[in-house]
Amino acid sequence: MNDEFKAIERRTVRSFYDDGLFEIALGAIFLLLGVYFFGEIALPETSSLPMFLSSAFFFVIVFAGLLINKILRFLKQRITYPRAGYVSFRKERSPKRRLTAGVIGAVTGASIPVLMQFIPSFRDMLPAFNGFLLGIVFLLLASKSGVARYFVLACISAFAGIALAAAGIGDIRGVSLHCALLGAAMVLSGLAALIVFLRRNKRAAEVPDEP
Amino acid sequence: MSPDLRGLADLDRVIHEPARLVIATILSVAESADFLFLQRETGLTKGNLSFHLTKLEEAGYAAIEKTYKGKIPLTLARLTPAGLKAYKDYRASVKTLFEK
Repeated sequence: MNDEFKAIERRTVRSFYDDGLFEIALGAIFLLLGVYFFGEIALPETSSLPMFLSSAFFFVIVFAGLLINKILRFLKQRITYPRAGYVSFRKERSPKRRLTAGVIGAVTGASIPVLMQFIPSFRDMLPAFNGFLLGIVFLLLASKSGVARYFVLACISAFAGIALAAAGIGDIRGVSLHCALLGAAMVLSGLAALIVFLRRNKRAAEVPDEP
Repeated sequence: MSPDLRGLADLDRVIHEPARLVIATILSVAESADFLFLQRETGLTKGNLSFHLTKLEEAGYAAIEKTYKGKIPLTLARLTPAGLKAYKDYRASVKTLFEK
């Protein structure tokens, strides 16, 4: 019986990802990150723009996140809710989980510059590191939501990272390409999911809720 | 009455009804959901869903908010803190009963 409860809970959570809009939005962020990292290495060193880009990284991420969130809400209201109905989810408020996630994030973030400093060859492995890290995030998303597409994206992330590192495209150039590849894969996967969602779910007739 | 049977008899009957149990399970994950979402997920008819939501509301387990989306009435449902507690207690009771 416990499995049946869990199946209903999982199906409810999965309904958030059925329309593919989350992947499209996240994919757009990764494409933006790819362009951002590429800008850092492609711009001439004499220009002050690369330094400006480096220092503005945090703000770029926050701004992009807020913008994508707004767009996602707008699209959900226009596309998803009239077809599948509206649902909002309880926010995770477990302080222990938040603390664990924060500590893991901080340790991972701090370890990258340290590893780059002390292990020179680590720079060549950056895309593989990035690929594994994002692969783990997708695996967590997949196990939480039960969406099989995220398992595929986790594999794409890991394999793309390894392939780039093996091809000798390391450092920021490799990370930039990895982000762009993963972003493109996510947008394509999201668009495919959206097409299926639109075919399966016709817009509900606008009639009052109750008889 | 044996303790096992007493546990069975003590189950919250408002939550125990299958349709309401499905609604409560959905609303335990969701903060709120509209009528269309609940109808699609539960497979209930409008009349049936409305009946069971009213039962949950009467028991103080669900809060029903009636608003408008443009000119179309929109019904949003959520579990109250008492409803969430009742649902969690029910699940714990069922788990204990089945494990015995």
